[in-house]
Amino acid sequence: MNIEFSFIIIDDSELDCFVTQKFLERSAKYLAIKTFQNAEYALEIIRENTAGNSPVPTIILLDLQMPFMNGFDFLEEFEKLPVEVKKNYRIAVLTVLTSANNPADIHKILAYHAVNGIIEKPLTKEKLLSLLTRE
Amino acid sequence: MFSSIVSFSFAESYYNTYVHKPIKVAEKVKVLYVDDEPGNLFGFKASLRLDYHIFTAENIPQALACLNDNPEISVIFCDQRMPGKTGVDFFEEIRVSYPLPVRIMLTAYTDVESIIDAINKGNIFRFVKKPWIEADIIGAIEEANKFYQANSMLSVKNIELQKAYDELNKFAYSVSHDIRGPLSGILGAINLANEIDDVAEMKEMLFLMKKSVKKMDAYVLSMHDYYSLQRGELKITEIDFEKVIDELKSIYSVLAKVNKVTFDISICQDGIFRSDYAPLRLIFNNLLSNAFKYQDRNSKNKSVEMTVEVAKSVATIYVKDTGIGILGSHVGEIFNLFYRSNSLEVGSGFGLYNVKSALIKLNGQIEVQSVLHQGTTFKVTIPSI
Repeated sequence: MNIEFSFIIIDDSELDCFVTQKFLERSAKYLAIKTFQNAEYALEIIRENTAGNSPVPTIILLDLQMPFMNGFDFLEEFEKLPVEVKKNYRIAVLTVLTSANNPADIHKILAYHAVNGIIEKPLTKEKLLSLLTRE
Repeated sequence: MFSSIVSFSFAESYYNTYVHKPIKVAEKVKVLYVDDEPGNLFGFKASLRLDYHIFTAENIPQALACLNDNPEISVIFCDQRMPGKTGVDFFEEIRVSYPLPVRIMLTAYTDVESIIDAINKGNIFRFVKKPWIEADIIGAIEEANKFYQANSMLSVKNIELQKAYDELNKFAYSVSHDIRGPLSGILGAINLANEIDDVAEMKEMLFLMKKSVKKMDAYVLSMHDYYSLQRGELKITEIDFEKVIDELKSIYSVLAKVNKVTFDISICQDGIFRSDYAPLRLIFNNLLSNAFKYQDRNSKNKSVEMTVEVAKSVATIYVKDTGIGILGSHVGEIFNLFYRSNSLEVGSGFGLYNVKSALIKLNGQIEVQSVLHQGTTFKVTIPSI
């Protein structure tokens, strides 16, 4: 089986980063998995990584509710990146959905071109596989 | 290099939010009487000045100036026929600009048209006919004042209610992140556990799960702090800072040793200091735990310094750290509920908000001085109660 993806996990919770990473290791053939507990730092790395096309697309698994730069801010900033950077990435939002979530916000997220889907936490292998086969 | 100094004084909001002004029995009700005939004003004042604090005005500009200077006027009497504006016009105007004082028309001019105008446009509370008798005036003032007090209390309650609703909104939002967030993480970890065979990997995960559980526990504890601060009464005792600090010292000395942080305390208490122990402890606890929490992990010279000085019935407390500092643009917001200036996982967004609430209760003040990547100093001053 060929390597299909690289992954970037952005989540302020150390446990969630760990769980997502371990699930990915067990579910996909991957080139690399990077985890970030700080969205701004992740964005910086993505912005600076203009070394050319990666052989495989990178899937960003993004939490929404984070202090400092949250998922919404990240998406807004990501959208401003040059097309040749953006085209290497697909974003999946991985979040806790609650009644406190504004439906308009969810629609806004799905309207971003780079966003491929929303997965509700807690994560399971099935949810992850359905995302990966969708890609 | 960015240094930010912000100081906060909560004294003003202290009175608005935390102490319901009791209706002072001793203080006289303040009444304004507007009439273009000085004789009328004189007679009114002469017969009522013993029971009430009477202000008088001969024309409308004088009346407006008087209202502006004396915001506690609760009842206004006004004559209808005056040169320039009529009483109805005056009432119609102040209904918007000074809505709280209760309006009473006092006039000999009693045709139906002007009465209808006074009621519909001036929105008056009573209509007293000239020549007046004292009993009518006193009755009108007493009833009007009751109405005024009820209305004022209602608006205070409304402000409090609005504040409570706002905080409830924030709560609903925060609970989803700070309780459901860790819970869904733990649930995800349990799902993952089915896939893990390696014991070392499992132990690593259990360690992270424990951290999440502890974080939730800390969240619930600070939520409890939040409620006791918002609702509790002050319990004033004599404070020996040496004793207060001693308890905290044992906790934080361990933390200092483990994290290789130099920890210095100096206390100098001159004279008796009276305050409430619980909020005081909360202030110390939060400032110290922040000072240790936000150290730069890679720095070689990590230190936390606390000085407490009590002189002339004022306690001045400095908590100084060599930590990561606060971004200049965030300094103004760090005292807001659920605000987290840092992406580190540790904050709940309760800590400094609780410090602020505690300081409001103790009538204290706080100043922050922070340089990014160099450290933060909090200066707290609290008067003895």
